[in-house]
This record gives sequence, structure tokens and C-alpha cells, in this order.
Amino acid sequence: MTVLELNNLSKSFGGVRAVDRVSMGFRKGRITGLIGPNGAGKTTVFNLISGFLKPDEGKISYQDQTITGILPWKVARMGIGRLFQDIHLFPHMRVVDNILAAFQKQTGENPLLALFVRPKVTAEEKNHRGQTQELLRFVGLSDKANELAENLSHGQQKLLSIARLLAAEADVLLMDEPTAGVSPQMVDKILDLIKRLAENGRTVVFIEHNMNVVIEIADWVYFMDNGQVASFGSPDDVLGDPEVRKAYIGV
Amino acid sequence: MNYLLHILVIICIYLVLGLSLNLIVGYTGLLSLSHAAFYGIGAYIGTLLMMNLGLGFLPSLALAVIGAMLLSLTISIPSLRLKGDYFMLATLGFQIIVFAVLYNWVGLTRGPFGIPGIPRPSLFGFQLRTVGHYLGFSVAVAAICLGLLFLITHSPFGRVLKAIREDEMAAAALGKDTPRLKVVAFSIAAGFAAVSGVLFATYMRYIDPTSFTLMESIFILSVIVIGGTGNVSGPIAGTILLIVLPEALRFLRIPDAIAANMRQVIYGLAIILIMRYRPQGLLGEYRFE
Repeated sequence: MTVLELNNLSKSFGGVRAVDRVSMGFRKGRITGLIGPNGAGKTTVFNLISGFLKPDEGKISYQDQTITGILPWKVARMGIGRLFQDIHLFPHMRVVDNILAAFQKQTGENPLLALFVRPKVTAEEKNHRGQTQELLRFVGLSDKANELAENLSHGQQKLLSIARLLAAEADVLLMDEPTAGVSPQMVDKILDLIKRLAENGRTVVFIEHNMNVVIEIADWVYFMDNGQVASFGSPDDVLGDPEVRKAYIGV
Repeated sequence: MNYLLHILVIICIYLVLGLSLNLIVGYTGLLSLSHAAFYGIGAYIGTLLMMNLGLGFLPSLALAVIGAMLLSLTISIPSLRLKGDYFMLATLGFQIIVFAVLYNWVGLTRGPFGIPGIPRPSLFGFQLRTVGHYLGFSVAVAAICLGLLFLITHSPFGRVLKAIREDEMAAAALGKDTPRLKVVAFSIAAGFAAVSGVLFATYMRYIDPTSFTLMESIFILSVIVIGGTGNVSGPIAGTILLIVLPEALRFLRIPDAIAANMRQVIYGLAIILIMRYRPQGLLGEYRFE
């Protein structure tokens, strides 16, 4: 089932068509890779989906609703989560607070209710703390719960940002280079997490430059070049496409 | 003795000002130079309601708080898109406008002549007469305000404000309505500043616009920058230090003309040293970058 669909999406910056009539579909429980040279428009596609940029043309639909051009926090509330390439944690907050801040529709986010409906807020908080422990166990950061986020290693920060997205109840995970700059052991750990998330029915879209990673986890691959979708198919088909090899891998 | 009590009352007033500004500066990460404006708005609304309409203390206080919260929207909503220094400049503009209105709308505020003879509060039939009475009252009000601010900052709301301070884009990407949260935080801070204003007016029994100038806003900001932001103990330390230290200078045998200038010098020097050697303030947890 296709949960997220892009229809003829375009976005220009000045005279440059960063994204040029792009159509894509992402299926529930599947892992889709976006590959292509730097400047091909991959991150721009993520920015268009998550509402940080408004497309000039085209339509984005999510679960049969049009979400084109709506605000980022509304997109996130609908269940489309974003993992940034440069992570964007809350660095001076503890690991647990990074996750606790992410839960959706917290009663205590309204200051009046936080003051005057304390039993409900406390009960909710207790529930969220329990879920936070589970999420930390899931990503393997239980022993870091009370560290400040800025004190984690790069790889651990990526794990925390995944846990944070799950707390925010993201069903679609847009991951911008989830394995970039982390140690080989950490890459395996992150890939294992991504596979388990897809098995649990989450839709994963990831931008990746490491072709071994693409082959290992992707069900489908879009190859982008010059703002356009140049090739689509299974990893073997796309990476075996002579055009792709010429444009991207250079062989 | 009365002098000591007076200092303690002033500390109570500034504790509420400092800790409420901390909600904007230390928790939400927005620098504001308009806190004295809301302090003044509270003082004037409260005073005018008591003196012109003969309302009691508590209704006047409540309306002053509501008035300041609503007026805060006129600056926070248009400035939402501004970040960092630009937001601060917008609040600076608001501060200057409010001072100009208080100073020039003579028909309402008596402008530079000020309003004398503000009645001391009478609560549930008990008339506050002496400085001692007033100190007890200020301590109670400050304790209630500090308690409320503590609960607010330690709630999920406070946690999301911190998240906005840390990384507003990430907070939005997690589904937080960051513009609304910032506006709400700003208006809560304005409401508490108005409480300080009403306390100040009924304590001094006289107000004029010079108590609510840009310098005053800068002073309140200095209190929390020197003490530290992002937690409760920082602003408390800053308030006590910046109120008590200049007073302590009185006891050095320095001629008055020099002492006044010395106070300014010490206060400026303290800011420079703190910024250079301890940018998070004496006891704060958040540092500006």
C-alpha cells in the first residue's frame, strides 16, 4: 500500500530547478533509498515533504490527504518524521528529556492544564517515562539516560534522534544519511534498527551515499540526478543500470 | 531596620521579575528588552483601576495581569518570525513605545508628574500599614509566583520551551507548534511582570514612567544574565547580588556623588567579567551562543 505519494513536484531556487517534476511513491513497511550525486535534489525532496519548503508545483499526499505546503509541525503531527543529516538534538538537555519532549499531544504542554490538572499530567508523564525507557532499550542507550545529549558520541546521537522520532509517533521516517560518519559497528546497529522498524510496519525513506548500505536494506531505490528521477526499481536493477553507473559511480 | 525590610521587599519584587523573564530568556531562548514595559503596564493598570474606578486590590491585580498578557500579544505575534537579535530589537521598540505612552498620555497617566497616593492593599479586612506588613505580603506573593513558575518550568510545557531554545527547527519537526508555545510563554512572563508592577506601585505608593525605562529592562535582563538562566537558582542569585551589592556600597564611606557612579561602574564591570569568564552566569545552566 502506498502511504506517501509525490506527484509532479517542482521547486526552483533562483533559476535552478532543484526538484524537477518528481513523482515518487512510498509503501508501508518498505524501505526506499534515495540515491544520486550531491545536488541532485534529494534533501530538497525531504524538505518539501516535511513542510520546510513549499513546492512551486505538484502535490504531496499522505494516506489519501493532500499535505502540500502545510507547516512542518502539522506534517510531523500527521506521522511523518524527519531525521536530519546533522541530527539536531536538544544538546543541553538530558537524553531522557530529549525523548520526553517528543511525545505528541501532551496535556502538560498547556501551562494551565499543567498547573491545574496535575493528576492527569502526572499519570501521562509516568506513562511517557515508561515508554522512554523502552525506547532507550530499543536503540541501546539505556545506560546513557541521564547524560546530556551533547556528551554522546556521533553514532549514539543518531540512535537518540531515531528514538526521539519514535516517541513522536512517526509512521513515515525520512532519514537523511542515517549512517554517515559513524563507526562500522554503529552502522550495523543503525541498519538493524531500520530493518526492525520496517518490519513493525513503518515506512522508511532514506538518503544514502554508501551503496553497500543501499543493497543491504533497501527494497526500492530512486536514483535522482539534476532534480529529476532518473531511475527507479529494485537496488540490483538501479545499481546495475549503465546510465546510473555512468552518472553516479563513474564506471 | 525599616531600611533592611525595604531591601527585602525590593528583592521580592525583582525575584518575580527575574524569574518570569527567565521563562522567556532562559527557557525559550528569546532575548527580551521589554520586561520593564510589562512591569510598568501592570503598575499603571493596577493603579488606575484602584484609584479611578475604586476597584479592590485583588480585582485590580487580576485585570493588570490579564491586560499585560493581552498587550504582550501585540509584540509577540508580529515578532514571531524574528530570531535572536532581531527579536530583541522588536522588544526594544515595544519598550520605547510603552515608555512614550506612559510619559505622554498625560490625561490618563499624568505623564511625568506621576501618580501619588496609591492606596496600600487591604486584604480580607486587614489593612497593610507598615513596611513589615508589606514585607510579609510581598514574601507571600513572591512565593506564590515562584511556586507557579517552578511548576510551569518543570512541566512538559517547560520542557518543550527548552527544546525550542535548543533547536526550534527540531522541535517543529517533532510536531510542536513552536509559534504558539513562544507566544504563550511570552504572555505568561508578561503577566508575572505585571504582578511585580502592582506590588511595586502599592508598596511605593507613587509611580511615574521613569521606573519603567529601557534601563530598567536592561537591569532586569542583567539580573538573570549575571545570576544565570535556564534554572531557578540562577535568577535568585542574580537578584540578591544586584540588589544587595549596590546597597552594601552605601556603608563604605564614599561621598554620595561618587558612590552613585561607582555603582554603575561595578555593575557594568560585573556584566563584562561574567560574559568573559562565565557566560552561563553564576548558577545558570544555559549559555548564549
